Amino acid sequence: MRRIAIVTRSRLTPASLEAAVASPRHGAIATFAGAVRATHAGRRVTGISYDCFAPLAEKELRLIIHQAEKKWPVKAAAAHRVGRLKVGEMSVFVAAGSAHRPEAFAACRWVIDEIKRRLPVWKKEHYARGDGRWLPGCALHRRKS
Amino acid sequence: MKRNIELYGRLRDAGLGDRVTLVLPDGATARQALDQLRRALGRRAALLAGCALATDEAVLGPAERVPATGRLAALPPVCGG
Repeated sequence: MRRIAIVTRSRLTPASLEAAVASPRHGAIATFAGAVRATHAGRRVTGISYDCFAPLAEKELRLIIHQAEKKWPVKAAAAHRVGRLKVGEMSVFVAAGSAHRPEAFAACRWVIDEIKRRLPVWKKEHYARGDGRWLPGCALHRRKS
Repeated sequence: MKRNIELYGRLRDAGLGDRVTLVLPDGATARQALDQLRRALGRRAALLAGCALATDEAVLGPAERVPATGRLAALPPVCGG
């Protein structure tokens, strides 16, 4: 069975996610990769620690992928890395495959936006001076059934 | 009932470690559990702003009862990506 929603401490492997959404019927595969950048708000960043409530994060990521595949005629897959990452390392990867590019782009963007809004993941930036801070985010709410 | 609450994100820096044990009345709601966690945090209680209580299956609404078994976690506002 293809693994389409992955939360892992291991280095991400974009090729496996792209393969998971590839199909002879798909003329388009859109991808998004997020990486740790070297500066934030004027401060030099040396790395980011990603914390995660794993069981809920994996469940929520599967749900996001499922919802994307209901909204658009796409196959989607995503992975989020946790643990301490250095500048330049990939923290998140999303792939969406479809017959044509508009729905692939739309689904890919929607998935990364939902990941940022809903996945129980937190990041603590580490700065060159040795200090660090948890970044603000979006409050979680009970899902309406 | 005695329940362990796992702490994530900024709550890990509240001085309580990565979990805290609360003694809750049977049938306690998520709101009551968070209120008790707020008291446990003392002068760092402001860290609970915007936090939710969750099981490993779902985020609990404030009026929902805390289950007697299974994992429980206090989740700050999220910022993945």
